[in-house]
Amino acid sequence: MVVDTHSSDSSIILRVKGPLEFKCLFDKPDALNIQKVISKTFDALCSDIKSDSCAFTLCDGPVVIWPNKDVTISQEGITPNTLCEVLSQWTQTSEQDSASKRLAKKKSKKGPSSTVVNLQLMMEVTRSGAPHPHVPVFERTVQTAHFISTTLPMDCAVFLSQDETIQDACLRLVEELWNQLNEMKRVTIQHLKGASVLIPEPLHFLLPPPHGLVTVVYPSGVPDSQLQTVRQTLHKKYDLPEDTPYFRRANAYHFANEPYRDGYLRNPHLSLNLPALDNGKVYLVQGLYSYHHYMQDRIDDNGWGCAYRSLQTICSWFQQQGYEERSVPTHKEIQQALVDVGDKPAAFVGSRQWIGSIEVQVVLSQLLGVTSKIMFVSQGSELASKGRELANHFTTEGTPVMIGGGVLAHTILGVAWSETTGEIRYLILDPHYTGAEDLQLITEKGWCGWKGPEFWDQTAYYNLCLPQRPRVI
Amino acid sequence: MGSLVSVLNKRKHGSWVLFTGLLIGQSSAQRDYIVMASRTPPKEETHGNTFDKDWITEHARQVSRMLPGGLSVLGVFLITEADAKDTQTTLRQLVFSVENLICSERLWNPEDDDVTDCVTLHINSKTRKTVCRTFDVKDPKSMAKPADWKYQSGLCSSWVSVSCCSNVNIYFPLPTGQNTPEKMENCIKEELQIWAKQIETGVTLIDGKMFSDDAELTTGQKRNAKQAYTVQLLISPSEHRVNDVVQKCGGSVSIRGAIHSRAYVHSNKPKAKLAEKLLKRDIISTLATRVHMVLEEFVTAGGQNINVGGDLLVPRRIFCPVKGRSPVCVCDYQFSDEGPSEAAVRLKEMLDLDAAEEDIDTSQENVTITTSDIKAEPQPEQIEEASPQRNNYIGVVMASAVALLATAASLLYLNDV
Repeated sequence: MVVDTHSSDSSIILRVKGPLEFKCLFDKPDALNIQKVISKTFDALCSDIKSDSCAFTLCDGPVVIWPNKDVTISQEGITPNTLCEVLSQWTQTSEQDSASKRLAKKKSKKGPSSTVVNLQLMMEVTRSGAPHPHVPVFERTVQTAHFISTTLPMDCAVFLSQDETIQDACLRLVEELWNQLNEMKRVTIQHLKGASVLIPEPLHFLLPPPHGLVTVVYPSGVPDSQLQTVRQTLHKKYDLPEDTPYFRRANAYHFANEPYRDGYLRNPHLSLNLPALDNGKVYLVQGLYSYHHYMQDRIDDNGWGCAYRSLQTICSWFQQQGYEERSVPTHKEIQQALVDVGDKPAAFVGSRQWIGSIEVQVVLSQLLGVTSKIMFVSQGSELASKGRELANHFTTEGTPVMIGGGVLAHTILGVAWSETTGEIRYLILDPHYTGAEDLQLITEKGWCGWKGPEFWDQTAYYNLCLPQRPRVI
Repeated sequence: MGSLVSVLNKRKHGSWVLFTGLLIGQSSAQRDYIVMASRTPPKEETHGNTFDKDWITEHARQVSRMLPGGLSVLGVFLITEADAKDTQTTLRQLVFSVENLICSERLWNPEDDDVTDCVTLHINSKTRKTVCRTFDVKDPKSMAKPADWKYQSGLCSSWVSVSCCSNVNIYFPLPTGQNTPEKMENCIKEELQIWAKQIETGVTLIDGKMFSDDAELTTGQKRNAKQAYTVQLLISPSEHRVNDVVQKCGGSVSIRGAIHSRAYVHSNKPKAKLAEKLLKRDIISTLATRVHMVLEEFVTAGGQNINVGGDLLVPRRIFCPVKGRSPVCVCDYQFSDEGPSEAAVRLKEMLDLDAAEEDIDTSQENVTITTSDIKAEPQPEQIEEASPQRNNYIGVVMASAVALLATAASLLYLNDV
């Protein structure tokens, strides 16, 4: 039903993508006939995938592989028995932008920064050898009918095993493509409604070991809310907890080479070195968030918007973990939400007034349906003793924490805490940054960084808003 | 090959002798290589005093369909007793009108590095003086630029050819309602444009290798070492995202089978990318030409039957060398009931080419359909391979070979020996 690939020592992903034309005609619009025609069309594509015309071209290099023609390869010096890693030579040279190069050493090998070798699925139209098939037949039918014309967005990815040859990897990909077509056939037929057809879309999800990368075909246009039972079945199959989403569309794996279209940085904290405390452990935010700060989105909120930005960072977490489909709210939307619940007067919208942790809690509830706990400390020095509570929060909830006090608001993304010595460090994401999305600058200057307890105003009181993760899939 | 002298000798004393025709070859940034000069067959009632611009333009259109990739109509020539300055405007109009007509039929997109100069050649039949000029047809206001002529022999023999046999698989719906021939033709043209885009953006390999952007096709080889290359083409459809995947239709058209394509490239350090581009254009043009011929068939064979189904084999492509054993060939299309003799006649009429029947190569494409190819369901109305109704253009076969440009005066005429 769903294809999975076991992750392994290697961190190279081989991915093939490409549209396949899907065209067919049905004259009688009854369900059985439509199913028959659709099924036949999918079957024809299945044999195309296994034919000699099927080819993979390397996206970043002059290599073409015909996996079904005894794995013929166009490039001299590469044979079917060459290790797949050789193909990744070409992708290394294309990732040469300075920031990623410098930070490459610090990045962990697995997870969001695995190397991806991209292949394009193509069909060879030329043929060699006699006898030639006949010249084209121009055939015309005249009838009232329905015509289906679309492309199927084929997308298969496998983690390469250690020392895997091109031959083995490509044959695996052909099997994946074939399975994906059959899965698409099943999903398409299942969601047929009268004469309307939904395009099946494959998405990849990275599951915890031992499952690795798993591909699921979803019908496009059907929202996540209507696919609950599909997800339940998947959670059962992969033995996943019933209270955390893994298979919402927003949870789809993000491949290293695909830039985020919105321009925000994701998880800048991953480029930092972890603090080393005696008997200390590190507890971090779980999942993805975007860094929101002053001056973004062409809004000059320098001096008043820090809590709004921290709230945006928190909202981005809920969106990217799949709990929330709407996009991150703007300052005005946040203010409007507070007016709507009666917490602020109508004149609040459009103003430059600060908000605090309580308002953050209210907005999270109003816009996202998320509840939050409030933690209060009467002086900043007390924060040093909150190690256990923060550690527990990141372990069970894993959400970013908004902290407001003195005259500042910040986001806490994690804590490093030693139970024995009581030493503590806080991973802080600072919304007061006014510059561009420059990862290197942000990490070097500490706009995202590990801070000690002296970071807080020792005499001011602080409120922390700890958002609670909904227990849903 | 006759000569200008013999033609001039045949003219009646005192009458104007007027010959017009087309210059055929390949242009590059610095030079134009002219391979053939084809006289426009005279219209039946002309007396040689005037010429018919539309007639010549139509000749150009027909001829350009007989040219494989790499060869095109580069310009026009005129042999007259008038002075060059008197005919310059006429020649200029002619060249632009020819180019506009040919461009309007193209399904492939011109590129920035295409050479857009066209050639005009004026030969004064009394003084034998020749004046050659070029015009940039991209610029309607372009002025004539003088050009030099050089006679060279045997250059064509070292030209390189790239070829392939491609599967065509085009399938699309026809709109609902009454389908007039124009409606159907527009629909087919749109679909062919989509297919042409796929061909243009396809990945090509020459003799199994991918070439980088600036690479030459023939590096490291001795001259004449290898002249024929095979090309492979890989395509991928563009992502098609419409909201309405299912649409009502009034029928469908499918074009399925294999076509042979070929392109020639001059041998002066040709770039691989040029060869690929020319071959892709040939793939697109040869199918478009044949679909056009099939549509003409449907219309002439029974205009009122346009709303009835049926199938027809598109015409087969045949090749003929421009001269003797030259590797460079022109082509023509035949419906399956025609033989090499009909091809020879047409080559003579259109291109002024003397071809022996044994020179004509009909082996590149196959018109026999085995029983396994025929679909099981019978069609309601079968349109068999109707006898072609084309050739509405032609006049009388020229009695004498009028290869006018082989004079002692310096002329650019690359001739194959």
